[in-house]
Amino acid sequence: MNVKFLNPFVSAAHEILSHEMRESIQRGDLHLENGSYQTDDVTVIISLVGAVDGTVFYSMSKEVAVGLASVLMGEKFASLDRLAQSGIAELGNVITGQASMKLAAAGFESNISTPSLIIGKGATISTLEFPRLIVPLTTSIGALTIHLALREGIQQNLKTPQLEIPKVDLKDK
Amino acid sequence: MDAKFLNPFIQAAVEVLEAEVNANISRKEISMQKSSLTSDDITVLINLVGDIYGIVMYGMQTKTCLNIISKILGQDLAELDSLAQSGVAELGNVISGRATIRFSEAGYKSNISTPTVLKGKGVEVATLGFPRIVVPLETQFGLLTVHIGLKENKSGESGSADEFISLINGPVPQKGS
Repeated sequence: MNVKFLNPFVSAAHEILSHEMRESIQRGDLHLENGSYQTDDVTVIISLVGAVDGTVFYSMSKEVAVGLASVLMGEKFASLDRLAQSGIAELGNVITGQASMKLAAAGFESNISTPSLIIGKGATISTLEFPRLIVPLTTSIGALTIHLALREGIQQNLKTPQLEIPKVDLKDK
Repeated sequence: MDAKFLNPFIQAAVEVLEAEVNANISRKEISMQKSSLTSDDITVLINLVGDIYGIVMYGMQTKTCLNIISKILGQDLAELDSLAQSGVAELGNVISGRATIRFSEAGYKSNISTPTVLKGKGVEVATLGFPRIVVPLETQFGLLTVHIGLKENKSGESGSADEFISLINGPVPQKGS
């Protein structure tokens, strides 16, 4: 995980959340994680493809998700229904989009994927050989954690996979 | 959602599984799901960006995953540890990569993201604006389900579910019985 990718995400999150909530957010201590981790109630997952490659996760409790969705969409949600879910996904989308624009300005162009939501605590997510940089953020509504599993893309401006898909010859098939 | 997204993935899955593990594949009934997916024991998630974009997921039970990956690696895997997860992620990666090659041959340029592995049954995966085509592939190792939530990056393009369902009964390859 290249730490130079960190700031665009932290400043994007700060800009968007403090604008929406009209108060500043706090960033806690960073740490690196390897292997897999246990999911919180709600996780937004967005991939990056290009000069920056990998996945970003935004995780939070259900209460924070419902609270954030209510603030962002200007209506009081009682539960994380489909509309509230799309609001949280959009938050992840906007932060990641803003971060990718900052990365592009620094010479790292990438495309971001559409967001998906994983709802359910205690499942295991693995980013395989990508270590994750954990960025804990505190808002007036509660804690939001950004997990960055990013690296410099080895193939730039790639349209199709370069390598021939190998046929594995097993000794005893 | 269009049959043109479906065939490359089904063909890719069939080809890769046949080549890697001598799989006998039988495609079960395809369905469409708009609501959240309820996860299987293990799910590989891969995003696509480009002319065709969205998400593809490969879900299966632990036993099926271990059977397939043990065969590929040529060693007996007893649990879904990081080696097994790395193996199943790579399987999803190879199938998806092969499908995007088919897309590019048809003029649609897309790139796949790195895979994320989700372990844990019964978790909800919401793909929001992307309804999914669900393709169950029965093999001698167990059931592998491919979930395809893709759209074409072209303004003004839309497809109704009815239009899609009638398309799939046509050109999708039938394997096994």
